[in-house]
Amino acid sequence: MSSRSKSNLYLGFCCLGFSLLLLFVWIPLDTETGWIEKVRRQITIGDSLAPSVAALFLLVGGAILTLIERKAPGQPKLTGANMRFIGSVLLILFFSLTIMRYCGPLAVAITSAFTGDELEYRLLRDTAPWKYIGYICGGIVLIAGLIALIEGRMTGRAVLISALAVLVLIAIYDLPFDDLLLPPNGDV
Amino acid sequence: MGVLDYIWLGILSVFQGPELFSLFGLPVSVTLVMILCGFLLGIAVGATPGLAGPIAMAIALPILISVFGYHQDALLPVMGFLIGIMKGATIGGAVPAILFNTPGTPDAYMTTLDGYPMTQKGQAKKALRVAHFSSASGDTFSDIVLIVCAPFLALLVEAYLDLPEKTALLILSLSFISAVIGGSPAKGLISAGLGLLAVYIGTGEDFYPRLSLGTSQLSQGFPIATAVLGVLIIGSVFKGLEELWHEKRQSGQISVIKDKGDQRLRFAEIRRLFPFIARSAVIGTAIGALPGIGSTLAATLGYTVGKGRYQRLKAEDDPEFGTGVPEGIAATEAANSSVSGANLIPVLSLGIPGNAAAVFLILAAESIGGFNPGPSVFRFTADTVNPELVVAFGLFTAMFIANGLNWTIGGVFMRSMGVMIRIPKHILLPIVLLLTLTAIYVQETRMAAIWFALAFGVLGYFMRALAISPLPFVIAFILGGKLEESARQAFAATGGDAFFLFTSPVALVFMLMSVGVVVFTAIRSKGSEQSS
Amino acid sequence: MNRILKAGVAALGLAIISTGALAADWAPPGPIKMMIAFRAGGGADTQARLIAEALEAQMGWKFIPEQVTGKGGVNLLATMKDQPNDGTVIGIVVTESVGYNLAAANAGITPADFIGISTTAGFQMGIVSLSSKGWTTFADVVAAAKGGQEIRFGVMSPKLADLAYLLGKAQGVDFNIVSVKGGKAVMNGVNAGDLDIGFMAGIQAKGVAAGDLVNLASGLSTPLNQTPDAPTLADLGVSFNSDGYFVFVGPAGIPADARDALAQAIAGVVSDETTKAGGIIKKAFGGSATITGDALTTLMANDYSDAGALMDAAGE
Repeated sequence: MSSRSKSNLYLGFCCLGFSLLLLFVWIPLDTETGWIEKVRRQITIGDSLAPSVAALFLLVGGAILTLIERKAPGQPKLTGANMRFIGSVLLILFFSLTIMRYCGPLAVAITSAFTGDELEYRLLRDTAPWKYIGYICGGIVLIAGLIALIEGRMTGRAVLISALAVLVLIAIYDLPFDDLLLPPNGDV
Repeated sequence: MGVLDYIWLGILSVFQGPELFSLFGLPVSVTLVMILCGFLLGIAVGATPGLAGPIAMAIALPILISVFGYHQDALLPVMGFLIGIMKGATIGGAVPAILFNTPGTPDAYMTTLDGYPMTQKGQAKKALRVAHFSSASGDTFSDIVLIVCAPFLALLVEAYLDLPEKTALLILSLSFISAVIGGSPAKGLISAGLGLLAVYIGTGEDFYPRLSLGTSQLSQGFPIATAVLGVLIIGSVFKGLEELWHEKRQSGQISVIKDKGDQRLRFAEIRRLFPFIARSAVIGTAIGALPGIGSTLAATLGYTVGKGRYQRLKAEDDPEFGTGVPEGIAATEAANSSVSGANLIPVLSLGIPGNAAAVFLILAAESIGGFNPGPSVFRFTADTVNPELVVAFGLFTAMFIANGLNWTIGGVFMRSMGVMIRIPKHILLPIVLLLTLTAIYVQETRMAAIWFALAFGVLGYFMRALAISPLPFVIAFILGGKLEESARQAFAATGGDAFFLFTSPVALVFMLMSVGVVVFTAIRSKGSEQSS
Repeated sequence: MNRILKAGVAALGLAIISTGALAADWAPPGPIKMMIAFRAGGGADTQARLIAEALEAQMGWKFIPEQVTGKGGVNLLATMKDQPNDGTVIGIVVTESVGYNLAAANAGITPADFIGISTTAGFQMGIVSLSSKGWTTFADVVAAAKGGQEIRFGVMSPKLADLAYLLGKAQGVDFNIVSVKGGKAVMNGVNAGDLDIGFMAGIQAKGVAAGDLVNLASGLSTPLNQTPDAPTLADLGVSFNSDGYFVFVGPAGIPADARDALAQAIAGVVSDETTKAGGIIKKAFGGSATITGDALTTLMANDYSDAGALMDAAGE
């Protein structure tokens, strides 16, 4: 946090680099039309202009950071603790959303294996209880996992609270509305 | 049919509509009940972090239409309900911002700056009272302006703003936001640049979805809910969790804040707050009347102007803005609440919405039929009844009923939402996260939307960690599409004039101001840096 | 768990038997995903949702509406292409999406990747201005343009932009063609004075009836229902038109019985003016237009193959 912090300088370089990448690589390679286009004998604005303006914002911002605000006081910087924290959160989220996505289909597959019926999750995604399996399992892991991360240990209370919370969310989003689909049932 | 006849017919249309039940022999019209239900729902929704008025309106509209059908009689109950949500959510939105530092809507972000510090000081109830009083004042003022000015002002504004001027105005808003809000002009520009980039991915005029890297998931672009809720809400949930995480690691426990001191709002304080409320109400109303510029800019401007005034007048040892002063909440809430009424000026007279809530009012009118927001609404006919004008005055009446509810039961109901502070934050924040993800999913129905929202959440977290305000990002994301569209249209409409932004005096002034504001703030921040 | 499931299937079966008047004994094996290429809450979206609602009530089928917007329906078609083709995935677009837009997008998708189920309504595409402009027919606009006035022509799709350009060319004037997003945006622009004239596909009906707007010309091959005297594009020297329909499509390979059952059910709802869906179609488009089966397949294929000629003409 001292005035000798280099974090503005690094951030400025990142922005400059990214904006140049945008202007000279991403935009030219990944848009079909240039800054301006001639169609039907009329000059119109092409698809590259607006993203280039966005890149210009980043370029000017990065330039001001490196040239003018380089020595601004009180620059916060990213620490190892920041990265460890966000990494753990993302790990929990990734894990719980994977469970949310695949628990239902898995349950259907296991049931079919036992009963011999040819069931398909996609066709059951609006039928209770199948449609709740993924959301309940994934939701509990998500909430309880994050609570456990903060508390530093997994408790039965956390699991109970998350189960309750998930049930309340189901009551809000699913029970009154016929047309709304809980995750992951929209795109299975 | 004189003007007064129309006003009277409008009032009657609300009170004498189809009767739902009778109370002590007096018939209670279904419209009245719908306004009340919408208002209460709006407060609850606004007070729930992760939900916001527009989401509730979006979900409610198809249901309401199924219930009421496609008939002119359906207009007032349905739109009354939506107006109720709009007004309720405006005051409700301050609750999570003040109690949990998680703004439910972009415009409540500035409320967190002083609201949350007050909660940390044990002044949560008082902060809520200040927010409610300012919000209700701003809202009422704005509605009065709406009714007085709607027929005249909107036509006047529109007459002077052609496509090039509208484009220039959007550019001015963006550069102003970047320069003033970001903390430093550089960080503001970076934040806005990222927002613009995000909104331009997958969109565009050409059939190839630009910048989509050839993937099908990016080719539909980022849904607005993923970007806005991701950066604002999920980002702040991450940041909030991290604070708890550090706290736990340092002290071994998680602190719970108890109410301390006088929670009431005294008359002397109201007198002190009033100049801030009045200024912000005027700012909010003026901004609301301009089509396409929403409450977020109003809240930001109101806060900035309030901050300037406060710093000039405050005594040496008074606390600074941003450390929990009621004036900060008052300036923000009065400004963002006064947008909603004035926003209906362009909506009703031109059919152009200024914010998401107004969009849903237009959609309701359009879907039901019988009310075509546009210049024809304010045609005062002499010998025949113009039914649309009756509906317009019916809507005005509905807004005043909602205001009455706001002043009477709004504050109590809003503060009762404050029970949520008893829930420990480390339990609530994960639930808010799942609620937000679920809200996004039921709108977008694809897992990709959840991943987008989480990615934006991480971006929002890093921006906060690096002291980059997420607000320019969100505003740029919201205005970016309009900016490109209106620039294209202005360019095409002027026959491909490359200097379309500089040929009309109004547009030229806007453009000069856009450059000026960035240069000015950059120089000023450089100056203050050297003096320190 | 199985019991609940079987009970559900039985209930479904009963509901279908009770509407036994329909010949098809096809029933969807699960909920039907209904993709909508239009912004939620707009006229087209409302139409689709009401059709779903009516079918749920009549047939006992379960629909799950979902927005897949953007790129004039091409985004929807690209998403739909790889979806299951057992009749559980359908989508509403306009014929222009499968025709001109697919041809212009050049994304490796053709109408052969889809199967048309049924159209619901035909556009009442007019070229519209504010009546306060003082123009009563398209000739007045041409006269104004020749008199040196710049005319801003609002369009909501590339195909319409081509038509506007060709119209100007045929009449010997240059329009400033302004592309906006959606028919509602054209109407807003015209009402606000940002645009002088614009294409509107039925949204103008109320304004025209009230006398605020005026249909200067028909964008169709036939005169408009509401303003039969307005000249057609052919009258004005343009050999193309903007004839088009809202159309339900599904991924190619849907079995014939499923296609027929869906088509019959949808056509039944939209042509019945007492249903909510039929009611709003009557209001905006003057009535339903249901083209199904081979006629629809031909219509979609022709739209696609004709697109090249229009693009070539406008590219000159």
